Amino acid sequence: MNITEKLAPIRKGLLEFVILKIVAGDKVYVADMLKLLGPTEFATQEGTLYPLLSKLRREELVDYEWQESEAGPPRKYYKLTQKGRTQLSTLNDYWKDLNRTLAEFGN
Amino acid sequence: MQKVVNISLNGIAYQLEEPGYNQLRAYLERAESRLKDNPDRTEVMNDLEQAIGEKCARSLSPHKTVVNEAEIAKIIEEMGPVESAEEKAAGAAPEGTAEPAQPYTGPQPRKRLFNIREGAMWAGVCNGIAAYINVDVTWVRIAFALITIFSWGGMILVYIALAFIVPTAETAEDRAAAFGMPFNTEELIGRAKKNFEKFGSDFRWRREWRRQQRQWHRQWTHMNEQMRNVTAQAMPHMSHTARAITGIFMPIAAIVGAVLFVAWVLALVSLIAQQTVFGWPLPHGMPLWVGILVLALLYFAISTPLKMIRHGGQQAAGYHPGWAALHGLMWLGFTVLFFWIAYTVFPGVHELVDQLMWAADLTVSNISETISVGSWY
Repeated sequence: MNITEKLAPIRKGLLEFVILKIVAGDKVYVADMLKLLGPTEFATQEGTLYPLLSKLRREELVDYEWQESEAGPPRKYYKLTQKGRTQLSTLNDYWKDLNRTLAEFGN
Repeated sequence: MQKVVNISLNGIAYQLEEPGYNQLRAYLERAESRLKDNPDRTEVMNDLEQAIGEKCARSLSPHKTVVNEAEIAKIIEEMGPVESAEEKAAGAAPEGTAEPAQPYTGPQPRKRLFNIREGAMWAGVCNGIAAYINVDVTWVRIAFALITIFSWGGMILVYIALAFIVPTAETAEDRAAAFGMPFNTEELIGRAKKNFEKFGSDFRWRREWRRQQRQWHRQWTHMNEQMRNVTAQAMPHMSHTARAITGIFMPIAAIVGAVLFVAWVLALVSLIAQQTVFGWPLPHGMPLWVGILVLALLYFAISTPLKMIRHGGQQAAGYHPGWAALHGLMWLGFTVLFFWIAYTVFPGVHELVDQLMWAADLTVSNISETISVGSWY
């Protein structure tokens, strides 16, 4: 098992966390999320993102609202819910703890 | 010159080159089957359609109104394979197995039932079934011929139905799928409709069909007349007792017939869905299709003598079309009754029916989507 194979599940597990972080800012359209993610390690495609967002919405972590667009049908803009905000702060704390633990072990 | 297909993606119309359309259709079909356990399936599909639509719009201008094949290929690549988020969660669990190193390249090759025209005798139904169950086409043709004889021609109707309902392998991808999961219910009605229209527009077929019908009708009336003559000679005088016996016998025949039919249908369904007949597995090494064939032969072997006795009784009582109609009604009533009893009494049947209902529900939602989107055909 090479190193990329070992890193892939970590990225995959973190993607949900990253999405919550993005949505925590302003309301976002999926195409803009993809643009934000594109240059990072978390580059994602619609095929993965839409099912993930539908799952997060079912868990009531995110919600969307419709906004008219000049080109084409109205678009869904995603935003974080109260529940999502609580979970995000839990995740943030957890991430800090993880980092500290890793740092404590040294190199 | 390229043929262009008009489609609607989430309510907006686009024109695609036909090969591109076929690619996109295959992509969306795969996406839908990947999402089949997702409660938000319809919504995610709409999201995907909208995203695709926006990408299509980007490649259009006032002087370019058609999305070409290469652009569709690029859009599909950009969209990436549809993954269900639920699986992703499972993969991230501590005991989760390692993810594949390569980016996921779509679902496993799905084997699907297609009609295959290449080397076909008629519509390629047998050919497609042979590819699907992985046996030589000769065996399938023999099976079809045998069942046709035992079912007194009824199998011909099944063949015609299959020819219309089962999609014909048109693209290379279709043909690969024909040899490589269960037949997808989506598009079923649309296909059948399209094929039927094509068939109907060919008036030579229609003329031929009418001629054939007239001939069948003549043969049928002739046979009936002869039957009547024979019975009239054999039993010159029918007593009221014989009529009464027939009257008593008829409901019994209808009950037995209905029980047989219900048992047969349930056996078939359980064989196909669970590879067992009421809990008994097939003898080791017997392929599924042989099991289905044996069941069909068994049913006709038992039901045919019964049918003959009934016909004999009706003839004896003096033929009257009312008899057949009455029997048909009784049979239908008992069949529904027994299905209901089986459904309420046996939990296994309950499960099977629920499975079927789920499949039917999927079909209906697919049809209603097709109608509401009004797009794919």
